[in-house]
Amino acid sequence: MISLDRYPKEITLRNDARLVLRPLTPADGAGLWDFLRQLPELDKAHFREDVDDRGVVERWADTIDYGAALPILAWDGSRVVGSVTLYRNRTGWKQRVGIVRILIAPDFRHLGLGTAMIREMRHLGEQAALNYLVAEVIVIQGAAVRALERMGFEKKSVLPKFVNDRKGRLYDLAVLVYSLSNAEGEFYF
Amino acid sequence: MNCPHCGVEHFPEPAGGKKADGGEGGCPYLGAPFPRLRAGHDELFYGRWRRADASPLDLRRAHHRLRRLLDEIAAALGSDDLPATRKDLARANDALHMATLHEDGQESFLHADHALSYAHRVIGDLLHEKGAPPHSPGDFSAWYEAAEVPFREDW
Repeated sequence: MISLDRYPKEITLRNDARLVLRPLTPADGAGLWDFLRQLPELDKAHFREDVDDRGVVERWADTIDYGAALPILAWDGSRVVGSVTLYRNRTGWKQRVGIVRILIAPDFRHLGLGTAMIREMRHLGEQAALNYLVAEVIVIQGAAVRALERMGFEKKSVLPKFVNDRKGRLYDLAVLVYSLSNAEGEFYF
Repeated sequence: MNCPHCGVEHFPEPAGGKKADGGEGGCPYLGAPFPRLRAGHDELFYGRWRRADASPLDLRRAHHRLRRLLDEIAAALGSDDLPATRKDLARANDALHMATLHEDGQESFLHADHALSYAHRVIGDLLHEKGAPPHSPGDFSAWYEAAEVPFREDW
């Protein structure tokens, strides 16, 4: 069980904007849907469901299970401007591997929010006693790839023309891995 | 002369008539947390040891300053439950250790540069925990004899 005592947490961006980070709750469905609607198509391509459908997003918020997916939202007042989600498996061979997905509103990019979200995820990964965090990013989203690398993620592979957007265009996918402190020298967990 | 506020040697006012960013009392680092750590980082970042004409003495001085900076960072981190931050600090210490072991100037420089990068990440973590904005040395270049202003890319 991850302790969420650190939330709500205030952060300050490079332009001195002050945001509040806190986990998604069932009451946040509308705010999350508004946020997802602002995102470019490509940013939404990884979702398995149609996030333009308000009902889908509100159902997510209503049924959120932090043990499987822990979304942390960044709020600018009453508006969601970013999210980072840690996906985990309770069992199986990847139960010590967390998958990270970060989304930033277009008008809040290049202000340090993405990097702040990576810092948050590193902290939560440690709290969850994971061994690794994995981030999959489309290669053309270069700023995101470089930010992850600056924060210690290692680019393990680039898979050419591996993923598609909703119109069927293909993109190269970078797989980046961060080794948490539990990962070193362990043979059993 | 070293600044009485942040403890490092920087210009008393920004070069080129640039407007100071958050500066007060002749020190640009006041007004945000960890002024000594941020200044200590930038003093190294803009230090002579990183220039093409740096001497072995410049590099040795940088090793000492890095040692001091990492010790100050460790003190600031204290016993906070931040394993990822602690791991980066350990990496910084390892890199500095390697820097001091190498006779070859280029190898030593590269390890010291890695140590400084890890130190920057740790300072960033400490600022994040305090809710403060990230630290970019580029914002303080006018306070140093900066050969070039680093390209800043945030996400």
